[in-house]
Amino acid sequence: MGIIDLSEISVLRGRNKVLDKWSLSVDSGEVVCLYGENGCGKSTVIEAAAGLIPLENGSSTISGQLIRDSDGRRGRTDFGLCLQDDCVMGDELVDERILDAAGYDFDITPLLKIWNLDHRIHDRVAMLSGGQRRRVALLSGLIPAMISSEPVAILLDEADSGLDDESVDRLAKTLRNLAAGGHSILVASHDSRIVAAADRVIRFPFEEENNEAKTGKFVPLSRGEKRTPYIGHRMNLRTLSGLANNGIAGLLTLGAMLALLDPSQLEGRTLTGFILAPALTAGLCGNPVHRLAMENRAYAWWNTKSSLPPHAIIHSLIICGGLTALASSITTEVDWQLIVAGALLGAITESIVGLLSNATLRLSRPNAVMIRLLTPILILPWALIVDTLTA
Amino acid sequence: MNIKGEVVAMLGFAGAALTLGLGMMWAPSVSINAFQAPEAQRIFYWHVPSAWAAMIAFGMLFVGSIYWFFKRSEWAWRLHVASSEAGLATGLMCITSGCIWGAAEWGVPWDWTDVRLNTFALLTLLSLYLVLGRKSQPDGVETRDTFAAFGMYGFVLVPVTYIATRLWQIRHPGPVVATSEGSLNSEMGLVLFIGAISFTVLTVGYIMAGMRLTKLEMRLEDLQRQYEERLR
Repeated sequence: MGIIDLSEISVLRGRNKVLDKWSLSVDSGEVVCLYGENGCGKSTVIEAAAGLIPLENGSSTISGQLIRDSDGRRGRTDFGLCLQDDCVMGDELVDERILDAAGYDFDITPLLKIWNLDHRIHDRVAMLSGGQRRRVALLSGLIPAMISSEPVAILLDEADSGLDDESVDRLAKTLRNLAAGGHSILVASHDSRIVAAADRVIRFPFEEENNEAKTGKFVPLSRGEKRTPYIGHRMNLRTLSGLANNGIAGLLTLGAMLALLDPSQLEGRTLTGFILAPALTAGLCGNPVHRLAMENRAYAWWNTKSSLPPHAIIHSLIICGGLTALASSITTEVDWQLIVAGALLGAITESIVGLLSNATLRLSRPNAVMIRLLTPILILPWALIVDTLTA
Repeated sequence: MNIKGEVVAMLGFAGAALTLGLGMMWAPSVSINAFQAPEAQRIFYWHVPSAWAAMIAFGMLFVGSIYWFFKRSEWAWRLHVASSEAGLATGLMCITSGCIWGAAEWGVPWDWTDVRLNTFALLTLLSLYLVLGRKSQPDGVETRDTFAAFGMYGFVLVPVTYIATRLWQIRHPGPVVATSEGSLNSEMGLVLFIGAISFTVLTVGYIMAGMRLTKLEMRLEDLQRQYEERLR
């Protein structure tokens, strides 16, 4: 059994069977290159190995850990991934992205210097050129192996596209060095230099040939403390997306109600409903980090790292609690019970909307699917909470 | 014998029209003591059978969804497509008639705190979502899996809707047929029975016709693809 193991996988894309009971095993210290024309199924193999697409048959295993099988079982382990899309949110910083991918803190400057990115170390990825962004995405894919003395799997899908000649040469050399360290690499590419760097080339549809044996030298980068990403909270703080989307919607609701109603005349159910309405509106706007993660398919990359999508639930609690406190202070004395209820109501509503949105990410046009049609039901819990708190 | 869905649906439609006629003209009026708007109560002969038919359609949707998800059966996908459309049509009939009746009887067409009203509305919205969402996506296993998953999980609302008036009776009336508190007067029961049968036939006919139409659409798509391949 290899480090990367695809066992009799069948994959449907649209109405076509792209892979039919196909198997592949990549051993420790081996570089396997997938080569073939566009649409032949190279990306499907990489995404199936990473567990990003459902399998009709068979299973994908990495380092002995089941990643996905045809019964829908999922698992996660450390491996490097670089997809055709950059999968980086524009507001991530260059250094933090690579450190998040590594999962450890370490001195990243020498590595960025080699890849001509050291002058951009603290920049947002959105500010980089296309080629620089691609290098960040590529390093995110390579870094789990670069810092590990144990064999790690690396999956690269046309990682060389958009890179200059010098960077492609460096990538080919890096692949050999990582293989010398016992890491397993599965790479899809059209570039002859990457093909030449492989030990084995699979020409689609599935002719295998072995290349000459090659050498390399591997010295792992020294790593520090383990790192917890909290990516959603960091992104939300940096972009103020939660405030801009959810907070403003809540404030507008409060403002619109104040334009029509005299708060001093409200009582009972109407008063409680008035106080909790801004938090409900803020929640109905959905997970603010979800929008950011839609950029460049970043959600797919994060999905291989954690079963929980990037979120900023603590910020939602604060925003919705703040909106309820504001509405409460305008109408009556500040009521802590209502503030807690508003914070929870908004955060739970936001999470449900986020879950609904995540459920459609596999579709080819997730933005066209009108998932918001299902959100009116969220008025029911709000109305029941209003009734309960008033009673 | 190959019975066409369109014929069955037409029979059901005729029965539904008969139900409406009998409900409006023949069935006795209810007591003014029990209802605020006794004449508006006659909409019940349309409202209850359409809710019954919607539940059948949602049940078929569940069967189609689960069978597609686990068996990848084309027949099951066609059932999913047709029953989501039937669920939308009958669900909208039920909600519209309920709102009209509610406006007359309660003074408001809708109550956001009533569990029965809201869970049923969500089932109808789910059907609307499935119908519109499916049209927005190219056909393929990803699309079918996603919508089948919504069809499967959405079915949990059917038992919740069924027991809602028993557990949390807020505004919507409780059950009126086969309860310990007695049943309907015989003429009323007969019209309701004709309505239930007619709406069931209408829904089954609609689903049969819808499945056939979906099969023809898929065949047309395959022929188009074959034609394009020949042109290359």
